[in-house]
Amino acid sequence: MRSAAVASVLVLVAAGCGSKGEATDTGAKTGTLTVGASLSLTGSLAREGTLTKEGYQVCQDVVNKKGGVSVGGKKLTLQIQYQDDTSAPDTAGQLVDQFNDKGVRLILGPYGSATTASTAAVVERNGQVMVDSSGADDSIFTKGYKRTFAVLSPATEYAASMVQALYDLANPRPKTLAFVSADDGFSKTATKGGVDKAKQLGFTVVDTEYVPNGTSDVSAALTKLKGKNPDVILGSAHLAEGVAIVKQSKELGITPSGGFAETVAPPTPDFAQTLGPAANGVLGSTQWTVKTTGKDDWFGTASDYATTFKAAFSGREPEYHGAEATAACLVLVLGVQKAGSTEPDKVRDAIAGLDEQSFFGPLKFAPNGENLTKTMAVVQIQNGKPVAVWPKESAEAAMTWPGTTS
Amino acid sequence: MARDHLMSQFLQATLYGLLQGGVFALVAVGFSLVWGVMNVVNLAHGAFVVAGAYLAFELHSWTGIDPFLSVPVVAVALFALGYLVQRYLVNLVINAPVFITLLLTFGLELVIVNGMIMLFTANYRSIPTGYATTSLALPGDVRLPLGRLIAALLAVGLTLALGYLMRHTRIGLAILATGMDRGAARLMGIKAAHVYALTFGLAVALAGIAGAAVGTIGTFSPADAGRFTLFSFVAAVLGGLGTMSGALYGGLLLGLAEAWGGQLLPGTLVNAVAFAVLVVVLAVRPQGLAGRSFYAARVEV
Amino acid sequence: MPTVDTAAPATGSPARPSEPGSVLRPPRWRRTTPWLLLVLAVVAGFGLQTQLYTGQERTASTILMFVSLAVAWNLIGGYAGYACFGQVGFFGLGGYTTAVLMTHARLSFWLALPASAVLVGVFAALIGAPLLRLRGHYFAVAMLGVAEGLREVVTNVPGLTGGGAGITVPTVDAGAPTRWLGNDGFYVLFLLLAGVLVGVGLLVSTSRAGYALRAINQDEDAAAAMGINTTVAKTMALAVSAALTGAVGAAYAFQQVTIYPERLFDVDITVLMVVMVMLGGAGTVIGPVIGAVAVAFASEWLRQHYPLVHTFLLGGLIIAAVILLPQGFTTYVHDAVRTRRFSPLANLRRYRL
Repeated sequence: MRSAAVASVLVLVAAGCGSKGEATDTGAKTGTLTVGASLSLTGSLAREGTLTKEGYQVCQDVVNKKGGVSVGGKKLTLQIQYQDDTSAPDTAGQLVDQFNDKGVRLILGPYGSATTASTAAVVERNGQVMVDSSGADDSIFTKGYKRTFAVLSPATEYAASMVQALYDLANPRPKTLAFVSADDGFSKTATKGGVDKAKQLGFTVVDTEYVPNGTSDVSAALTKLKGKNPDVILGSAHLAEGVAIVKQSKELGITPSGGFAETVAPPTPDFAQTLGPAANGVLGSTQWTVKTTGKDDWFGTASDYATTFKAAFSGREPEYHGAEATAACLVLVLGVQKAGSTEPDKVRDAIAGLDEQSFFGPLKFAPNGENLTKTMAVVQIQNGKPVAVWPKESAEAAMTWPGTTS
Repeated sequence: MARDHLMSQFLQATLYGLLQGGVFALVAVGFSLVWGVMNVVNLAHGAFVVAGAYLAFELHSWTGIDPFLSVPVVAVALFALGYLVQRYLVNLVINAPVFITLLLTFGLELVIVNGMIMLFTANYRSIPTGYATTSLALPGDVRLPLGRLIAALLAVGLTLALGYLMRHTRIGLAILATGMDRGAARLMGIKAAHVYALTFGLAVALAGIAGAAVGTIGTFSPADAGRFTLFSFVAAVLGGLGTMSGALYGGLLLGLAEAWGGQLLPGTLVNAVAFAVLVVVLAVRPQGLAGRSFYAARVEV
Repeated sequence: MPTVDTAAPATGSPARPSEPGSVLRPPRWRRTTPWLLLVLAVVAGFGLQTQLYTGQERTASTILMFVSLAVAWNLIGGYAGYACFGQVGFFGLGGYTTAVLMTHARLSFWLALPASAVLVGVFAALIGAPLLRLRGHYFAVAMLGVAEGLREVVTNVPGLTGGGAGITVPTVDAGAPTRWLGNDGFYVLFLLLAGVLVGVGLLVSTSRAGYALRAINQDEDAAAAMGINTTVAKTMALAVSAALTGAVGAAYAFQQVTIYPERLFDVDITVLMVVMVMLGGAGTVIGPVIGAVAVAFASEWLRQHYPLVHTFLLGGLIIAAVILLPQGFTTYVHDAVRTRRFSPLANLRRYRL
């Protein structure tokens, strides 16, 4: 039992050290505004987590280059602390609790709906404030939380915006749609929103197939769709499934007369890179494009933001994961300035009353924390690059229709 | 009309399932070899698959070489890596209880996967080729995808070649002999440390080849490593460990089970079908479909 | 296949036979000391709580949870030597049973937890009967299949479990069956769970059942020949181990409020249990505790200090630990003290090819 004794002694010694209590934010005294971000830097969402981190990084650089955040006549340097939640929701919640211990009360959201739902609950309990950059599932906003604000349009809009774009722009207008949906909460909510919209606009939904989240083999679902001859196949899925839908459709000789539309995959650079020419013509929905209307003091217009982003990341085009992250950070900065304080309660109230235009579009929050004034945009891959095609007033190019390239 | 269509749908699913099964087999055969010969469950197997995919990807982007033609280069590079890992790492604990080697490979998996995230980022990639998404139209509106066909043929070819290597060459016989009885093999003058390293090198080379194929017909990122290991687990055990044909049977069975299950059931139940097949096969015939393995599978009391 | 026993020299077990005739009756102080230490450790846990920030409490709760999980896995994996690679299935099943009972049946958490444990135990006994006939890795893979299959089933009954979108246990609204316990409350819950589980470990270690399991680990055929009903012993061990794991899962589900199948059936959780038990010392009482605390602490510390490369470093640490201490920390210390040979390099010489 020697080791047991040693362990107990260690525990007792540990119990004697440290001190209970909550650390207070010393930011106002030290001249820094410390913000916490738990992100998926490793694990299954590492790719998207890294894109989100880039957006936060751009925000920090720009804000600090312009002198920092002014609070009560002082300029505070923005400092974002990153922690890796390994794409696990429970760890994300734990990390936000740890931020709270360190007196970090202002939080930037993690990547994804599951991690965001988990952190939102913790933020609410601790009286912190979180601006969510990517957790789109509507269920997060049905729980009565008062301290989580999402800059992005909710999940129900992702597929619905593309259905609307098809209705407005596609000529000849397709008649039948089929949905292929991943089975996670976000994708299913998006599918439901898309199906509802399609029925409302008079499309016929011939089939809805569900596939396991993250799979790279959707052949079974596609084989089942084949006989139903949909005019457009709408994928409500992430990158791996999204690429598989287009790739395996080609392999299986499935050529919908209108083409493909997919929620989050096409705007990411990986989509066109992995699919090559097969990506051309695919529609995608996005939170942001370089043509998004609106302007703010920190980042200017959407195309100014694109210039800043390219300069920061050696010429790489920005896409919406980064933009929504920057926008979330912007909301926090605006909230702190408006409140004139870093106190979470005051910042919360300031953000709740925010009504601003920005490079990301309007920033105005409903009582449940959703940004409902903002609309989504639809892009189409043309010559290997996503270009905005809907809404018409902020389009970069006309929609090529039908979107089938072969 | 409707019946024709159902028939075509069934044939298409079957064909696709068989091709997919060929890919599973290619992924699993190295895993099965290591487990069968050394009683090591290599949790890093999937990581080696992804490493192979990255190597083929990099070779393609530097020189434009076709991923299937770069297979020899990938195989040699990964063989060397595997040989070194076994000789200077796994061999250090090979006499410890079986769990220990499993833990070691778990640690290796963490290191390799996160090393790849650092080196290549977590981006999703695919090796672009002109033919990977084209397919031959067969009668009855059934398509035969070219990329998958090549991958499946590669799998069958390699499995047969490996079977020949095992039964008809000195190295193969040495590996088999060491797998059956290491003590006796040493008495016969076989250097076990070297033979084990060769076996592991061979397995890792096969994983790398599978990676080149998978990277061409699908997408990959470091996070996929766990999925490949899981496929290998299922396919290897279904077929029976240590025999080269076992992984092939196991892979094909897994591919077919997923394809047919996917037609009859909601798409999200496909994986549940695969695991149900696995558990049933184990409960009924633990030595796998292809017969016999070197280590006793069941307690006979 | 050389078998090096990991279970027999049970350091933590006060009842290690020292001379014939005393097999089950060691001196009184050897029987009571571990219990005193256990009580002392739990008391120390309460003392520690007064010194922690509330967020640290949550981190400590996670560590305590892994202590419980490691101790539970040790019963089947350490003592009996059956590599249950589907342990997370029991964890997830327990968690989901509690979530479903609390959400749909509005059952109090304090009833849902034991109900989950019983259900998981019965489930384990039912699948254990056919699958425990499999040996070694085959059993491991079969259990892995069971756990993965369970996850798929849970994902595919969204009406009951919420499917991939997760299920949220009601904790705040008026109809909540049990109010959320707060970080303070969950710390106490996980501390007590860990205490109870270590207690069960102690009981098993000194009981006839414990000897039966060790005998099975060493040589199952010989154990059967000695008159041990190996089937009953193994099945019981699996059922108890599963029930305890299910109880931990139940507490975890309540703590998380919203749970997802991907996390509750995450194979990484099983792997962590195995890593903790093996590094701490399989088949001992204190080994899994030390292993769990060390691994959980190391992974937490690395994450906080090296957010970009922490998993890489953890992998390297595990490789080093496995090579230097393949028999586990507790067993190594025990053997080193007995033989006066402290160099871990001796291990290297013993286990390498």
